[in-house]
Formats: sequence, structure tokens, C-alpha cells
Amino acid sequence: MPLEIQILRKVGGQHAGAVTVKLTGSLDTATAPELERQLAPVLGGDAKDIVFDLAQLKFISSAGLRVFSSARKTLKERNGQASFVHMQPQIQEVFEIIKALPGVAIFKDEAEMDRYLAARQHTYDEKK
Amino acid sequence: MTLELHATPEEVMRAVGAFEEFAQGQTVPEKFIHQLTLALEECASNIVKHALQGDAQRTFKANFGRTENEVFIELRDNGPAFDPTVHIDRRREDDAEAHGGWGIELVRRFMDELSYRRVGEENVLRLVKRLDTGGKI
Repeated sequence: MPLEIQILRKVGGQHAGAVTVKLTGSLDTATAPELERQLAPVLGGDAKDIVFDLAQLKFISSAGLRVFSSARKTLKERNGQASFVHMQPQIQEVFEIIKALPGVAIFKDEAEMDRYLAARQHTYDEKK
Repeated sequence: MTLELHATPEEVMRAVGAFEEFAQGQTVPEKFIHQLTLALEECASNIVKHALQGDAQRTFKANFGRTENEVFIELRDNGPAFDPTVHIDRRREDDAEAHGGWGIELVRRFMDELSYRRVGEENVLRLVKRLDTGGKI
């Protein structure tokens, strides 16, 4: 099963600058390098928060978790956050077993995610 | 069913696809198919990366079968003797070696049996999933 990657950057409005990465298919030993390659310019830029939308992700192995872990680490270094939304049950199970991504936010839907991001934005604004 | 595979990630996923088809044909429950394909991907990836050093010219074998009560996957390679079932400390999150333990952790959690033996010049890794209610869910 291949992996389709869509990277969307929010321009304007609430959460302007937030990056959403939509994954479709299988994130495995063969496809993880391509995700890593496509994330590199995003992580090398000024993105602080990345939301991984996994609604259409059917399979993940430790190769995929390593890419997420690396992204999470990079974002954390700049006080950012990796978040995950719409996980299918078999994907959630893998995350729960490995517990490889401490501190990441996992949301069941976008409404929950939007509330969380709004609260984070409020915190950033207060610190300025 | 036996496959001979070259030591590449793409061949690992070819094995995964073949196993999925095999298991569906054997009416293995979907949840177990997912767990088995993940275990196969993890173990075969380790063979490609570590035992065969990613050398596409080298090959390994995957054998799948089903009995009344279980499904098994057996992987054979002629790399240096290496027992992947030995525990790796995965608490060191930033350590690449610790990351290597994630795959085996998933295999241990999902498989009912995971065994290694060295037979002549071959590493032989056997994964078993029991299909009766005594197996891990």
C-alpha cells in the first residue's frame, strides 16, 4: 500500500501558520523515508505546530513512529507541538503500546484540536 | 507459502502484501491480520537493515502457514548470528538503538510466540498467532 502525503499550511484566520499533514495509506519501512523527505523543509522552516491528520492512515510501523518522534523533537526544541487527529483504532493501539511520543496531543476530532490550539495561542499571546 | 525476497524495504512490503492475501484467503480475523502484518514488517525490516545490511543482492525467505489453531510466519536469513528477541532498553528515547526496540516491542505484544534459533548458517525467526480465544487480543 503506498503513502499519499498532503501538506497544508493555514494562511490567515485562526491558527494562521499551522501546518496540517494528511497521510493516506501505509506509513512503513518503504514509505517512511518519503515522509521524512517531505517534512524536512517544513521542519527546517518556522512551523511551530504540526497536526498529523491520520483519518486515512491504515497502517503504521515503528519506521513511521520514528519519523513522528523526530518531528516532535524538532518542534519541541522551538516550543512547538506535534498533534495527531482522527487516528484509526489500529493506529491508536500502536501509539499506546510504544508510548514513544510523550507529550504529543492526540485528538479525536478537529473541534477538540481547535480548542486546544486556541488555548495554546492564548498562552503564546500572554507571554509576549 | 514461501517467498524469496531481496533485502530491500520494497520487498519487505511485497511480503506484507502477500501475507495479507494469504491470511484473508485463510479467513483469519482482520484484527489478527493487522497484527501479523505489522509483526512481519518489523521483523523483515530488521533482517534487511541489520542481518543483510540493506544489500539488495542478498535474499531472505518468508514462509507462511496456518494450522487449525494458529497462523505462523517463519523468516530465514543467512546473515551473522543475531537473536532479535534479546531485550533492548527502549527508555532512551533519543537513542537510535532504543528506537530499534520499538519494533520488537510491537512484535512481542501482538504475537503469542516469538522464537529464534540458529540452524547451520541461518537465523530462523518464528512468529505465531493463536486463533483460539487463548491468544493475545
